[in-house]
Amino acid sequence: MEQVAIASGHEDHGTVTGVANTKLAMWMFLASDCLFFGAFISAYLLYHGRAGQAGPKPKDVYSIPFTSVTSFILLMSSLTMVLALAAIQRGDYRRLRVWLMATALFGATFIAGQIYEFTEFYRHGLSLSTNLFGSTFFVLTGLHGMHVTAGIIWLLTMWGMAMQGRLTTADSERIEVAGLYWHFVDVVWIVIFTVVYLVPK
Amino acid sequence: MTTVAVPGKVRPAGLLRRPTATRGFWSWFTTVDHKKIAIMYGVTALLFFVIAGIEALFIRLQLLSPNGTILTAARYNEFFTMHGTTMVFLVGMPMAVAFGNYLIPLMIGARDVAFPRLNAFGYWVVLFGGLFLYSSFVLGGAPNGGWFGYTPLTSTPMSGGFLPGHGPDFWAVGLILMGIGSTTSAINFIVTILNLRAPGMSLMRMPVFVWMMLVVAFLTLFAIPPVTAALIMVFFDRNYLTNFFVGGKGGDPLLYQHLFWIFGHPEVYILILPGMGIVSEILPVFSRKPLFGYSVVIFSGIAIGFLGWGVWAHHMFATGLGPVAITAFGLSTMLIAVPTGVKIFNWLGTVWGGSLRLKTPMLFALGFIAMFTIGGLSGVTHSIVPADTQQTDTYYIVAHFHYVLFGGLIFAVIGGIYYWFPKMYGRYMNDKLGKFNFWTLLIGFNLTFFPMHFLGLWGMPRRTYYYPKGYGWETMNLLATIGGFIIAFSTLLFIVNILTSRYRGELAPDDPWDGRTLEWTIPSPPPEYNFAEIPIVHERDDFWHRKYTEDDQGRLVRIPSGGAIDTPAATTTGGGGHEDGNDEGHGIHMPSPSYFPFVLALGLPLLGYAAVFKDPWILAPLGVIVLLFGMYAWALEPGSE
Amino acid sequence: MTDVQVPEADHELPLLPGEVKPHPSPFAYVIIAVILCVITALEVALSYTDLADGVMIALLLTMAAIKFFLVASWFMHLRTDAPVFRRFFILGIVAAIILFSIAMSTLHIFSP
Repeated sequence: MEQVAIASGHEDHGTVTGVANTKLAMWMFLASDCLFFGAFISAYLLYHGRAGQAGPKPKDVYSIPFTSVTSFILLMSSLTMVLALAAIQRGDYRRLRVWLMATALFGATFIAGQIYEFTEFYRHGLSLSTNLFGSTFFVLTGLHGMHVTAGIIWLLTMWGMAMQGRLTTADSERIEVAGLYWHFVDVVWIVIFTVVYLVPK
Repeated sequence: MTTVAVPGKVRPAGLLRRPTATRGFWSWFTTVDHKKIAIMYGVTALLFFVIAGIEALFIRLQLLSPNGTILTAARYNEFFTMHGTTMVFLVGMPMAVAFGNYLIPLMIGARDVAFPRLNAFGYWVVLFGGLFLYSSFVLGGAPNGGWFGYTPLTSTPMSGGFLPGHGPDFWAVGLILMGIGSTTSAINFIVTILNLRAPGMSLMRMPVFVWMMLVVAFLTLFAIPPVTAALIMVFFDRNYLTNFFVGGKGGDPLLYQHLFWIFGHPEVYILILPGMGIVSEILPVFSRKPLFGYSVVIFSGIAIGFLGWGVWAHHMFATGLGPVAITAFGLSTMLIAVPTGVKIFNWLGTVWGGSLRLKTPMLFALGFIAMFTIGGLSGVTHSIVPADTQQTDTYYIVAHFHYVLFGGLIFAVIGGIYYWFPKMYGRYMNDKLGKFNFWTLLIGFNLTFFPMHFLGLWGMPRRTYYYPKGYGWETMNLLATIGGFIIAFSTLLFIVNILTSRYRGELAPDDPWDGRTLEWTIPSPPPEYNFAEIPIVHERDDFWHRKYTEDDQGRLVRIPSGGAIDTPAATTTGGGGHEDGNDEGHGIHMPSPSYFPFVLALGLPLLGYAAVFKDPWILAPLGVIVLLFGMYAWALEPGSE
Repeated sequence: MTDVQVPEADHELPLLPGEVKPHPSPFAYVIIAVILCVITALEVALSYTDLADGVMIALLLTMAAIKFFLVASWFMHLRTDAPVFRRFFILGIVAAIILFSIAMSTLHIFSP
């Protein structure tokens, strides 16, 4: 059958591996993003607890209860995201809009929590330049926050398109690909929350 | 399948009808055709090759004699930094992507890459990244910390540190931008190669070049993130006083070197594997023999791809890593010579006993084998740690990498251009001029770089703007400078050959070299849609086997009606009945041109300038707006209309 | 992996392109989310206890790994999709872990 070299996700029946081009592309990107975050997490771990650092230490500024709540919210946003996908696959466009907006709102709440946390830390004397902890913590979580923000914009765009009736079951893959990105961002936070906030010393 | 109401009719701000031109000057800005994008990559790479070459000539003039006064120390630092940075990121990588872009779809029997607009975007990002980088010369000073930008030299604060000003910031941000382009190309190539192959084109029937590009794409995908991280850390240390590499606060400059070289070593394989792929295509055709050990060559390429991740700290032997680390990396470095050597033997095996036609492409391919082998031999000497401790930061290293990258990659690239030019333009490049080009380049190149082995072993250090009298380095430096100008002359010949052949070259048929692979089955130059009908592939070198069979004595026998490619019996289906004027009635539906790759790419240097000049009020919002506009408009327009 | 009977598949939907098994049902997703919450609560509680550092780190990392695995397998559909996706993702993760472990070990991250 005639092979069309366009990748809109609908023609994945014509792809050699049988998987859609966009989905494969997103997984490639996520695999590479593992190395990106891995570098910053490694830098954090390398410098974590190094002797002789002046300025606030993690114990001095962390509020584990607060961060647990924001982490929980981000985790739940993954649930709402995958429910949005299930909804569009079923053709339930009302639930699609509800779950997309829920995901975006949870994400935005997480970011709001991050911003609050950053300002609190700053008030306690921790900035980018204070010590190794400040540098590695703010850059790592800041970059993660930027990824989440990009995701929120993406989700709101999808929601907007859904509101205009432009998304049908045929577009499930767009939601799926957005979802993959969103889950990845959540999964990175799972690692960060444990490794940066909870692990002792 | 239900059809969604076409969103393409909605235009942001009501402007911009979809561009439709596929010919003409402005069509280049909106093209999504892999062949045109490839040409843009190639032209850009050649232009930057000339620029970086001129930078090198200045370096050679400065070093012509002791205590040179052509360049000040500050200028010298800029020139060697920009020469290296340009050659790696604006010549080597874009040239590889140029070849990949032009050839991959043709060699696998596809009409285009998987993501045509993303393809165009990748090009514009690289171009804008290069322009951004070079704008530094007039915006406060070019990067001057070496192409690898070691910390803490580059990471001390931009005011009051070792390298004040914006130079290293342009470098860091420029490389991040180019990395974005490279990553999108890598993703595009991987998906294209995995998903868009013609029926019957299994992975082990693909041309070696395509395999090498697949490995390169994976290397790129995984190597760029660590260096992006490193560059972000440098930028933050310089501009926001973070402590990633601040020794006084407990930071470790070696963290940078690790992150950089985790990228940097795979990077050199990203640079050379395409060249190896090109040579693997040229040698069989001009020997009239199949590639010796096809599977082995491919598996060696994959092995190099894997092992290449395990050798990076051989760039750090002199940094005090400790005996365990340097032993491990010394051994892994020795090991990686093996698959490389295997390839060299396979190439020799291809040529051996072949019916050789020593046309220009073949000369460059043979030159590649010789020059790359020399470079590889010096490389193996670096793997011996005590020896490397002496060699590092001397001209011996400079000799090594120029032999493998110039004598290797560039020779392969030039040969490849001579080889595929007839396909691209329907005209041969002038072969006599080509041979003259080859010999002058070979002589000039060796005259320039061979003396550097001696200079290095005699102790001449790299990246030093002068050398004093009395070390006995004068003669070799003189030879190197003369060689440099011979290279310049040869490059001029090459460019003249391209330009004159483009318009007045001898006309070439579709299959000018009696080729083996699918690109030679289509017209020269190829139509926009590449294949009138997607071929069905039955074996490796399918085209060759349609043209030739072997008689009882193993001699080639031409099949009289051979050369016609098998195509599906069914008539081609038109897609939606759209006729772009170029499909000649085949009803083939190609992706439509688009403004938005260009527009989206424009947002990135704006953000780059915002970052370098710390402008949150004008440049940053402008960049974000352009970015978002480009993204939305792109997302809302369909792939084709 | 767990003893909870997680509903496997949404049988009304045919296999979508790229799937090798039917994807999980919404109910399954909710169960997974509940498990994730429970593990998170355990992690947080654990961080407040007085266990030896080494033990605590091992337990916390294990729990994080389980959460990672759950999200990747169920929410990101790696368990029901074609294997190519999980292979590439694992490749990226493993590459990151190995490369950075080697680099950091030369910088004495593992020694006191």
